[in-house]
Amino acid sequence: MKMPESVYVLAVYNRQYRVFRKLLGSSLVSNVANPILFLFAFGFGMGSFIDTMSGMDYLTFVVAGMIGYSAAFAASFETSIGAFTRYFLQKNWDAILSTPVTLAELMMGEILWASVKALFSAVCVLIVGWIWGGVPTSFEPLIALPIVFLGSVCFACAGLVATAYAKGYEFFAYFFTFWITPMFVFCGVFFDIGRFPDFIQYLAWGFPMTHLVAAIRPLTAGTEVDVAATLLHVGYIIVFSAAAFWVAHRKLRQRLYD
Amino acid sequence: MGSTAVITATNLVKRYGTLEVVKGINFSVPAGQCFGLLGPNGAGKSTTMRMIMGLSEITSGELEVFGETATDMSREVKAKIGLVPQESNLDPDITVRENLVAFGRYFALSKPVIDQRSKKLLDFMQLSDKEFAPVNALSGGMKRRLTIARALIGDPEMVILDEPTTGLDPQARVLIWKQLMELKRDGRTLLLTTHYMDEAQRLCDQIVVIDNGMILDQGTPDELIARHVKGFVFEVQKPNLAASPDDRWEQEDIGDSVLYFVDDTAEFIVDLPQDAIYLHRPANLEDVFLRLTGRKLREN
Repeated sequence: MKMPESVYVLAVYNRQYRVFRKLLGSSLVSNVANPILFLFAFGFGMGSFIDTMSGMDYLTFVVAGMIGYSAAFAASFETSIGAFTRYFLQKNWDAILSTPVTLAELMMGEILWASVKALFSAVCVLIVGWIWGGVPTSFEPLIALPIVFLGSVCFACAGLVATAYAKGYEFFAYFFTFWITPMFVFCGVFFDIGRFPDFIQYLAWGFPMTHLVAAIRPLTAGTEVDVAATLLHVGYIIVFSAAAFWVAHRKLRQRLYD
Repeated sequence: MGSTAVITATNLVKRYGTLEVVKGINFSVPAGQCFGLLGPNGAGKSTTMRMIMGLSEITSGELEVFGETATDMSREVKAKIGLVPQESNLDPDITVRENLVAFGRYFALSKPVIDQRSKKLLDFMQLSDKEFAPVNALSGGMKRRLTIARALIGDPEMVILDEPTTGLDPQARVLIWKQLMELKRDGRTLLLTTHYMDEAQRLCDQIVVIDNGMILDQGTPDELIARHVKGFVFEVQKPNLAASPDDRWEQEDIGDSVLYFVDDTAEFIVDLPQDAIYLHRPANLEDVFLRLTGRKLREN
């Protein structure tokens, strides 16, 4: 196998960026406005019933969750339904694979773009949360951003696994029901996962979202950071990403080359 | 100067499970020529093309492209090939020009090179006034022209065209033929599949006729015609056929009429009854193709 080269990865990335600029309106709505609506609904609606969660103001709690969720949603959507459309419907991938670009580079370009886009939505949520008073400190949240980016890479890789196995759009119903929705409800976005029964907690720690939110919450909330725990969360995210990339690459190779 | 082979296939076999779609074929594509791969649907053409592009594993035998094994081509070799696929896979989300720019980047070309080449290619394929149009606004013929322009962005030594004019109107076909001839004059190698025998006859220097995964014959269009169908064809309507016994003339019954393949026209006409109804024309590649591959439909 050829060593991936950045010039080819960036070529794929650049194509995505060009399209994004054209479809800026709908991209902004789904990736930025969406999480912000949730932030308002939960931060203010629910927040008025809940005083504190995990020892912090509920709005502060939920900002970290929404940052993680907006990144997860943006990255997952881009490499699942988005990538599947390019691969299956538009046959863009066939065209690209007839050039010197390799499959690994094509996947990396897709993942890189999905992650940059995800980071962009996360930053928007962070800014809104900060304006609304849900982010008490100003420097630590910036440390959270590289972790959010890594988390996005992880979600993007998982999305490519779904694309690799999808036979049609119906398949993504499973992906959203059994992958995205659990991340939304069980992984510490809106509630401290300590409130769930044990087996759900074990399950929750299998999802990269739980680790991402657990790693960034102390940073955006300005509470004490457990460095060892943070490294463990980041380590889990990295290992998960690598495994997902490997699975997706193997399956896509089978499907695209015969 | 002897021409070197750009592609060499030796006992090339492709099997999907137990189904053998390419059954040990041998051919070589000389540099600078237009090489035609002809055959009915399901003959193994597309599979062979995919193997040449390195997109399909080789079951056995050898396939060399620019001296490298097709499944393990270096980037340098891959960059020497431009592919015009049968099914349009242009990028519908971006404009005509952006399609060329995006492709140029997949070939790792610099921005000035991409700008200069895309301008030239749009002009070459007569798409300059569509530069900023979205791909979805193009007609079928324009899309095909853009696909050809896109395949040329890497300045390839070889262009592979899978049915480049299928479904196009005569004007569009003529333009594409003209530009393909020009590519050949530039010294590029063309590998072409087509269902149109007039197209193959017009463009190809060498032809391979393939069916059921095997090569039926190969040669120049003239050689193939001389070998299989003689110089002229008389399509004679039944029942007023040639008077001589059947074995005098090479012939084929096609239902309502009989085709006679003859060298000496004058001699044959004498043999026809006075009231015979017939069409007399020079033999062409289509006659060769139908004689070699038969007249049965292939879709089922």
